[in-house]
Amino acid sequence: MAAAALCWVLRAARQALPSPCPGQARSYYVDWRMLRDVKRRKMAYEHADERLRINAIRKNSILPKELQEVADKEIAALPRDSCPVRIRNRCILTSRPRGVKRRWRLSRIVFRHFADHAQMSGVQRAMW
Amino acid sequence: STSSVLSTDKDKSAASKDSTPEGASKRQDNGAEAPKQQLLDIIGSMKVEVSYRKKLQQLKGSESKKQALNKLEGPDSEGSLPQGTIEDTQRGMPLNPELVKAASAVASSLPRNQKQTESELLAQLRRHEETTDKQKKGGTINIRNVISEMTVKKQTPAQRSARISGRVSLQLDEDGQRIRPGRSSAQSIDSRSLKVGKRLNIFTKASTEPEHALKTVSSPTIWDLEFAKEVAAVTAQPPRNGFEEMIQWTKEGILWEFPIDNEVGMEDDAEFHEHIFLDKHLEGFPKEGPIRHFMELVICGLSKNPYLSVKQKVEHIEWFQKYFEEKKELLQEI
Repeated sequence: MAAAALCWVLRAARQALPSPCPGQARSYYVDWRMLRDVKRRKMAYEHADERLRINAIRKNSILPKELQEVADKEIAALPRDSCPVRIRNRCILTSRPRGVKRRWRLSRIVFRHFADHAQMSGVQRAMW
Repeated sequence: STSSVLSTDKDKSAASKDSTPEGASKRQDNGAEAPKQQLLDIIGSMKVEVSYRKKLQQLKGSESKKQALNKLEGPDSEGSLPQGTIEDTQRGMPLNPELVKAASAVASSLPRNQKQTESELLAQLRRHEETTDKQKKGGTINIRNVISEMTVKKQTPAQRSARISGRVSLQLDEDGQRIRPGRSSAQSIDSRSLKVGKRLNIFTKASTEPEHALKTVSSPTIWDLEFAKEVAAVTAQPPRNGFEEMIQWTKEGILWEFPIDNEVGMEDDAEFHEHIFLDKHLEGFPKEGPIRHFMELVICGLSKNPYLSVKQKVEHIEWFQKYFEEKKELLQEI
């Protein structure tokens, strides 16, 4: 019985352990702004369906206008962080809000740093 | 009946094949050509006779076929044997007279004891007949019965050494097979059922499994977790090469599994009609009016959506139903 319990716990533990990897292993967000951005993303994910449906009622030429006004009020009543417009694509390493390339999710400075040290796969200095 | 005739042909050809290699091996000692020629002539003529006989039977009809059948399979028709050897009468298995003639001719051509060789050849022919009859009836050895009867033998070290020493010296029987101290019981099986015989005791009853499972879920302590983590950390060796690294990554989920399956994690058991024909979910709505119009548009859009599962689509429609029911009073004022 003890052996079976141990096996089960071993399996769980193996999944939780991070592998020894080269590079940085970060356990905190870079700054508070990044944290808030993370919270906004989570909320937006939770309320995405509701927002979509209420907006479908609002942006409609068939339903009566009174219904649409009610829907307006409803959507305004949702928490402010639940709208996707508030999400900012920050750099994941430095939390820089501007100059972030979407494909790599990195700011231009970090991207240049890694590319020069040949740590970006398939990225080369342009020369033509 | 044609099959019986064919089987006799096979027997004869088998018998001839048996006799020719035997005769050939023994003839090489003599170095005499005349008996070989005799044999070949006899066997050749025998074959011609058989085919003619087959044609005759086919021409005559069913009666002759029945006669042939009786000759082969009836145990009482011994009047067909011209030689009348003792063993034939004793065994009661009638052989074709031509086979017997051929056997006697072969025996006469060989230098050794004529009667002995003849009896051996006839015994071989009889065995052939038996096997073909058995195959016809469908009573050959069933492997399952054989295996159920057999038990796993445990060797003592003395026996093992005896076997190893025995392998060095090859002991041959008259038949050319190795002598073994104790043969398995596979030889003496004719037709047995599966339930007869000793229990093999290979599998034990799994009686206490579910209790164990229930217990393990409730009792892992923090110390158990810590210990498990320690053990995992110690036993996890760093990867020796790129392949092992890739294996580790695949286990962790960093690397996808190849060949890439586009539908990993996506289990859509629903058929296409459940995705497209969503009218049945519209039963809770009023049949006329702007709401119905709106819902039909919603359904049209959902039917074209390949990214949602059927469950999600149904939930979507149910949300709208709830919403409109809540707003019913408002709608009635309008």
